[in-house]
Amino acid sequence: MSETLTVELSRSRARTALAVTAALLFLGACRHEKSDSGGLPRAETFYVAGRQWGEPSSFNPLTGNPDWPVANSINLVYETLLYYNSLTGKMEPLLAESYQTTDDTVEATLNPAAHWNDGKKVTGWDVKYSFDLGQKYKSLPMAPLWQYLTEIKLYDDAGKEAPVDPVEGANYPRRVVFVLNKEKKNPLVVLDEFQNTRIVPRHSIEPQLRALGGNIDAFLKLKFDKDAVSSGPYKLLSYSGEKVVTVRDDGYWGNQALHGGKLPAVKYVVHPIYKGNDAFSIGLRQGRLDASSTFVPRIWLKNKKGVHSWMDEPPFFLSTSIPMLMINHKHRPLNEVHYRRAMAFAINYKDIRELAVSGYSDPLKPGLILPFGLESKFYSDEDAKQYGTWFEPERAKQELKDGGYTGVFNSDGELVETHDASGQKVPTVYIKSPAGWSDWESIVRIAVKSMRAVGIDARERFVDSSLFWNALFQGDFDMIMQTPSSAPTPSKPWSRFEFLMTTQDFAPEGEKMYKNMGRYNDPKSPGYIARLDELIAKIPTITNEQELIAAYRELNVLFMRDQPTIPLVYRADAFYEFSNKHWANMPTAKNPYLPPLIPGDRLGTAMLWKITPVLN
Amino acid sequence: MLKNNPTLRYILARASWYFVTFLVAVTINFFLPRLGDANPVDTMMAKVSGGLDAKSAKEKEEAYLKEFGLIEVDPSGAIRRDAAGKPIRTSLASQFVSYLGMSLHGDLGGSIQQYPKRVSEIIKTGIPWTLALQLPTIVLGWLIGNVLGALAAYKRGPFDKLLYPLVLLASAIPAFCFGILLVYFFGIRLEWFPAIGAYDDGLTPELSIAFLQSASYYYVLPFLSVFLLVVGGQAIGMRSMCIYELGTDYVKYAKLLGIKESKILFYMFRNAMLPQLTGLALALGTMVGGALVTEIIFSYPGLGLAILTAIQQSDYPLVTGTCLLITTCVLIANFSVDMLIGFLDPRIRAAQAAGG
Repeated sequence: MSETLTVELSRSRARTALAVTAALLFLGACRHEKSDSGGLPRAETFYVAGRQWGEPSSFNPLTGNPDWPVANSINLVYETLLYYNSLTGKMEPLLAESYQTTDDTVEATLNPAAHWNDGKKVTGWDVKYSFDLGQKYKSLPMAPLWQYLTEIKLYDDAGKEAPVDPVEGANYPRRVVFVLNKEKKNPLVVLDEFQNTRIVPRHSIEPQLRALGGNIDAFLKLKFDKDAVSSGPYKLLSYSGEKVVTVRDDGYWGNQALHGGKLPAVKYVVHPIYKGNDAFSIGLRQGRLDASSTFVPRIWLKNKKGVHSWMDEPPFFLSTSIPMLMINHKHRPLNEVHYRRAMAFAINYKDIRELAVSGYSDPLKPGLILPFGLESKFYSDEDAKQYGTWFEPERAKQELKDGGYTGVFNSDGELVETHDASGQKVPTVYIKSPAGWSDWESIVRIAVKSMRAVGIDARERFVDSSLFWNALFQGDFDMIMQTPSSAPTPSKPWSRFEFLMTTQDFAPEGEKMYKNMGRYNDPKSPGYIARLDELIAKIPTITNEQELIAAYRELNVLFMRDQPTIPLVYRADAFYEFSNKHWANMPTAKNPYLPPLIPGDRLGTAMLWKITPVLN
Repeated sequence: MLKNNPTLRYILARASWYFVTFLVAVTINFFLPRLGDANPVDTMMAKVSGGLDAKSAKEKEEAYLKEFGLIEVDPSGAIRRDAAGKPIRTSLASQFVSYLGMSLHGDLGGSIQQYPKRVSEIIKTGIPWTLALQLPTIVLGWLIGNVLGALAAYKRGPFDKLLYPLVLLASAIPAFCFGILLVYFFGIRLEWFPAIGAYDDGLTPELSIAFLQSASYYYVLPFLSVFLLVVGGQAIGMRSMCIYELGTDYVKYAKLLGIKESKILFYMFRNAMLPQLTGLALALGTMVGGALVTEIIFSYPGLGLAILTAIQQSDYPLVTGTCLLITTCVLIANFSVDMLIGFLDPRIRAAQAAGG
């Protein structure tokens, strides 16, 4: 015996430890696959991902950025007046059964069946209150709408104007009339808000706000994570750092009024919270996730595992937005059109599409209007050919030459710097993108490589994401990656143009601008194009289709000729992947009964009544 | 009294040093994250500013700045402004004073990015998972690693020849690489164990057979990903310490005196243990920082990712709060080891007795 007591002791401890570990492993390993032992039944549970990235902190419907399932565009708990169908371009009923626009109003009529989960009816008073809050409290998300409105009026079924304060009784106002601001008429943004603003119960919110002395900042601290009064088909059941669980409200008004008396087949909609990007792909492959709206690379490799996207062939997804390089028009040489167009001719868009975004995009065409889908009717190939830019290095060199620029290359053929007409070095153009956003980083690298090849002195600059946003708003960049106004809404493509070119709230560099961060078309500059502002103001009011097409063509031509930003690729606002392991009849391009949205996300919610469990 | 009690004097001396270290650490924890250019409110504004016009956005931004105490407010609650109408930023010094005041009451402040959550809430939900993953892994790994290392050094021969390359390999593989391999082979290819998560998606944490079963099943891969690395590192350290001790004079002398081999081994083990003990304390102290890599690869709950995100998004109160926790744990762990070694190590005992 050579072992001492200590060694013996450690050994026996180690043995115990090993035994415990082994027992744990055994316990785990012999546990059978069925997950129905005390948990949520798989056949009644739908797992979604991609809309909640960290532990939830607030479900307050009035905050600008609440957590799933109250989050923006999620209709599970709180509902909007209407849905927008991005496939048909039509508004579809939700709390409002219909709407109409007149010359100076937009009017919604509420569904008489709509009620809150405490049994009280959803009235015009609730709707008016939900929007009026933004008139009083400028920091609330619906506040910006008020620059386009003068007031909201309520009428009952008999056409009588309703009193301002709610009165009990069966005769409540169902007609809600939004009176447009004559100075700034824009029914499009009102419709955007109809499918965006959560309608909240006045009888529950108002007393809580009053109890806090009307202090909105104190109110926004309330978490609304218990017994909230809401109108939607699901209620919050539980939440943690690992997942958020909602449970079906069997008393939901829409089961009868909108879905033919059916309950959704899904009893629980669960959003697991994953920490790494690979987790989404693994979750889908293993059937742990039923649908996700995250970027899953090379989706075609996962088809045999039952994972699909909107289409099973390229581009796999339905794009609704345009990632682009925003350009700072206050910086030399970017304020010069030849330089901007040279950059746009230099970039290899095919490489970006194929290498940086897994081919999830149609080939890029010039301009700011999507050449497919609903916007294609405003698109003109003829204009694009005449005024647009595309990958053609020779044209890029020609534009540089026309502007008097020359690239100086060393003996290895590498660009050293770019000179202007007077032989001076022009400043290096830095492209900012948040560090770690790998798809954007690849895009920027390809763009930089293409530009340098023709003689444009551009470099990438990846910055900390917190510095990135500050740089974006303050105009502290030469060029910067951005996907402006990406969600499909009734106001597209107008809102994309408006976001990039509006001169409203124009501010010098260093002060913040939340639109047109590139400071394009400064009204005080000599090159100011007044026509742009006119078109942006006029398009929302045009009702004649031919006139509208003409206006959009003109706007797009102005964009192409001046190249204020450089569109790079098309992208879905939210990706849409699903597994058919546990649920069948998910919408696809071949079965497009709903747009490609995961359940809970806008009109995607309606899928919950249509999908059926797969019985194994 | 102190003169007659060297042990108490030793403890007090150490404790006061640790207290000074603590104060310095608290100060650095506070200032370091705040010295950069980043403004956490910008990140928040990026999330909520969609569609806001300049005036509303400004109002919103000021509301946030006020909420987080980043701009000055007069007693009536109104924002103090300079001549140009811009809000006056609260100076770092006065932020520090109010931070100290709050900390004394145990209030770590509110998180900025997870507004309106409190820092203490975030720590409270993350820490049980972090400890559940780290504590058993580190302690078990340390024990087994040390025993294996000592045995390898003592037994030599085939045992050592086989074990040494293995533990060397285990300790040399980067943690993320090993984790990914485990996920790929056992989680995706073979599907023996769940690749991601900490328990079945359909369950809620509670004390039930179903949950414990599920949690232990999900525990296997994350546990192994850390455990094997700890074993490897410890075994190597212990093995070389023991080999060194085997060649020391006292061992040779003891052998010459004919002392029993087991007695010699006991002496040797005790001495080789001391540096390993310090290593254990450090590992235990820093473990609340979380096994970040493991958390991300396995989507495992815990504090690690919360800290990383807080740093990335300049969530000052959360960074400062969690760093305070880590600092405190490291200091307590080190202090305990200091005390322990003080009693275990005869050299230090002798030094105390000699008055220094």
